[in-house]
Amino acid sequence: MSGQTLRRGPTRRLSTRTQWAVTLAVGLAAVGFVGAAQFNSSAVPTQFTSNAQDVLAAQVLDLTAQQEQLQGSLNTVNAQIETFQQQAPGSQADLAALNERLAAARAAAGLSAVHGPGIQIEIADSHRQVPPGESPTSYLVLAEDLRAITVALWASGAEAVSINDERVVSTTSIRAVGNPVLVNDSYLQPPFVIRAIGPQDQLSQFEVNPTFISTVKQRIEAFGLEYAWDTMDELQLDRFVGATGFREGVPVRAPEGN
Amino acid sequence: MRARFAQLSLFGVAVLIGLLLVGQLRSQQRPVELRTLSPQELSGLVQSLSQGNRELRVELTAQQEQLDGYRTASVEGQSELELGQQEVLQVNAFAGLGAVRGRGVVIDVDGFLDWIAMNDLINELRNSRAEAIAIGGVRITGRSVAVPGTDSGSVVIDGATIGTTFQVLAIGDPEALYGAITGPGGIKNQLEQVAAVTLELKEADFVIVPATARTLVFNVAQPVE
Repeated sequence: MSGQTLRRGPTRRLSTRTQWAVTLAVGLAAVGFVGAAQFNSSAVPTQFTSNAQDVLAAQVLDLTAQQEQLQGSLNTVNAQIETFQQQAPGSQADLAALNERLAAARAAAGLSAVHGPGIQIEIADSHRQVPPGESPTSYLVLAEDLRAITVALWASGAEAVSINDERVVSTTSIRAVGNPVLVNDSYLQPPFVIRAIGPQDQLSQFEVNPTFISTVKQRIEAFGLEYAWDTMDELQLDRFVGATGFREGVPVRAPEGN
Repeated sequence: MRARFAQLSLFGVAVLIGLLLVGQLRSQQRPVELRTLSPQELSGLVQSLSQGNRELRVELTAQQEQLDGYRTASVEGQSELELGQQEVLQVNAFAGLGAVRGRGVVIDVDGFLDWIAMNDLINELRNSRAEAIAIGGVRITGRSVAVPGTDSGSVVIDGATIGTTFQVLAIGDPEALYGAITGPGGIKNQLEQVAAVTLELKEADFVIVPATARTLVFNVAQPVE
């Protein structure tokens, strides 16, 4: 520096009134921008909502309510049957043996609630902005993601699995109707919580299962699906409530001694 | 006084911006409201839920009959043990611990299906409401999944290696199963397009799906008392 004193130019101060006016103008501009974006993003679904959609949506709600009512009734009847079985007269030894076999069969079928250590996985739709030209579906959790997680958990030693409290059993289908996901014919919505009871050291390996890697892991990385998991010392999984009777099949009685 | 008014105005504007931003962020999430689903998606949901509820009603009727049976037995002194044994048979069959016979489909598979395709096939049969499934003689339970074998390219289900020529047995409504598997966009076309494999389906009046060789016991899970 040359030692010269730098000279400041004449300082112009805006009046307080002008400052407020500028601040308000910027604020209102922001409101206008966000308001327009909000209007644009909500206008399309509203615009295409037709009477037919209203009727169908009402039917879905009605059927879901019926489903809950039927499941409740089934639970009640099942509990009454179990009470009868436990209080039945007769040989105590025979009865005890029968109840033991029934309990084992129900546990194996997923027809009794279970608890124990395991892991809990949560997965939800991506919060990323969908880039123009890309399919918004890619940014949603799909039925195939839930299937892959379930497969990975069974392959990693799970003894019981549930998705949003729907117990996975021998007849469970995990499928999509468009984007909506149905598990055991129940309409589930994200976030999806998958719980599995089993040896934690084995279950923790589910992320290296090839099915998980080839589907879910890739989609989490590519589309930013929200995803987290943790081991849990104690989990409780409800019993399966649904159809267990055969419509076409008949159970085959095993030969005596088997 | 005027400054106070202006500050309050600015505060109001900030609150408004906050609310709009929250609304904007929420609108980026999945449109979970049913009205935002397409008519096709809603129709599919109505169809699936209706069918599921029909099955629940059938199940409820059967359970009610079973309960009535126990009530009658307790009044008439009949053997409740027999009723209990019948239930053990039924529940074991549902779990896969017991064999099941009935109408269904037989699928002859010729060619290699990897574990992903095999799991897709199992899921598709379940979607088509199969009541019992066996692949290559292995009963598919709730816990059964196809995984890669130790040999390169092999597929294992419940410890059994599935070869390149095997049979899939499924008990259920034969027409519904056949239609779902072979229909346009069905799993048969999908698999035959992506893998060197052919699937030959036939409806069958009598199929026996064997019991699983697994025990399905729990080592870690405990029943809730």
